[in-house]
Amino acid sequence: MSDDARKATSPARPSRLLSHPQNFHCVIFHTICLAAYACAFWLYLHPTLVHITGLWSRIAFVTASAVVLGWISGIDVGVNFHNHSHRPIFTSHFVNRWFGRFWTFSGGWPSFFWEYCHVTVHHANLLNDDDWTLPKKNSDGSFENFQLYLFTHWPWRLSRHLWKALTARQSLRRRSLRELAIFLALWSIPFLIDPLMALWLWVLPHWIANAFVMNSGMYVQHSGCVEKTSVDPLKHSTVFMSNFFNLTMFNIGFHLEHHEHPRVHWSDLPQLHQRLKQDMLDDGAHVVPYGNYHAAFLLAGDDDRRKRFDAQDPRYTQ
Amino acid sequence: MDRLSHGFFSRSGVAVARSFFPLFAVAIIAGAMLWGPWVSLTVTVIAIAAALRLL
Repeated sequence: MSDDARKATSPARPSRLLSHPQNFHCVIFHTICLAAYACAFWLYLHPTLVHITGLWSRIAFVTASAVVLGWISGIDVGVNFHNHSHRPIFTSHFVNRWFGRFWTFSGGWPSFFWEYCHVTVHHANLLNDDDWTLPKKNSDGSFENFQLYLFTHWPWRLSRHLWKALTARQSLRRRSLRELAIFLALWSIPFLIDPLMALWLWVLPHWIANAFVMNSGMYVQHSGCVEKTSVDPLKHSTVFMSNFFNLTMFNIGFHLEHHEHPRVHWSDLPQLHQRLKQDMLDDGAHVVPYGNYHAAFLLAGDDDRRKRFDAQDPRYTQ
Repeated sequence: MDRLSHGFFSRSGVAVARSFFPLFAVAIIAGAMLWGPWVSLTVTVIAIAAALRLL
């Protein structure tokens, strides 16, 4: 850990169970997500309680539920579990592993697979040719079309890459198979209750979570950025400064700081941001005053809208 | 005592704020019992539009 990272880290003492006091927010977040799924399942099976009187009212209930479930699952895995993959939230290795398995299954992922993609592939190869978690690049170095990435990456391209990577070595193959079996056992539970319900309130939210929340997040965090070099050390990620976004998204907006110091706890990222601010100004880091969602809206649009994404937060211009 | 309760409420407040999106989802899903599925769907559409514009 560098000097800046060390100084930004609060002297938080781990409890007997949690490795950092603020990690109980992560547990609460995930618990409410699971409760939301349970609530949706139960109401789907008791349609009169939610005033479902026919096909159209059922479609309305399923659409609203699937969208909000997908939204929170995208955050729960893409942000909340993401932090756990860098800094496990419990002090016990056993609890970390099992809580992780019960964490990502509600986002359509075996926890080991997600961790492998993010830590072993994305962080280790950020923006170079081996980082297959990011969008493909055009000949000019820019990212492929936003919508193309959203609809083709998860699960299609990812499965191909994962298959290749995880079957390459025997030890990895064995662990992957075990994790996949545990995931399938957990993931199949809603199908055992009601297959049609599972399709609409389990598979559909997972597709929304991955395609629209996690993929769009990956796209906007590194769109227009360049691989880290000694000439451009801080142009590999965009920083999103919206206070409300960072409050509700575990400070994921401080993305450049996170990639620079992935072992810094998520609750310490605002302090790290203050420490790195001058370096970011000097090196011309891209900082925007909003969060990922508005960035996705801009990058999904025409040339005019995409150019608005390039504009710098006025507080971060030299 | 005041400082203790203030600390507790501010910590709980942050924990609730951090879980804003899951709590919103529960409100949308369970709220359909009170106001029906069409209101839930309308609020969801408005929330997405607001997030894309403001967040």
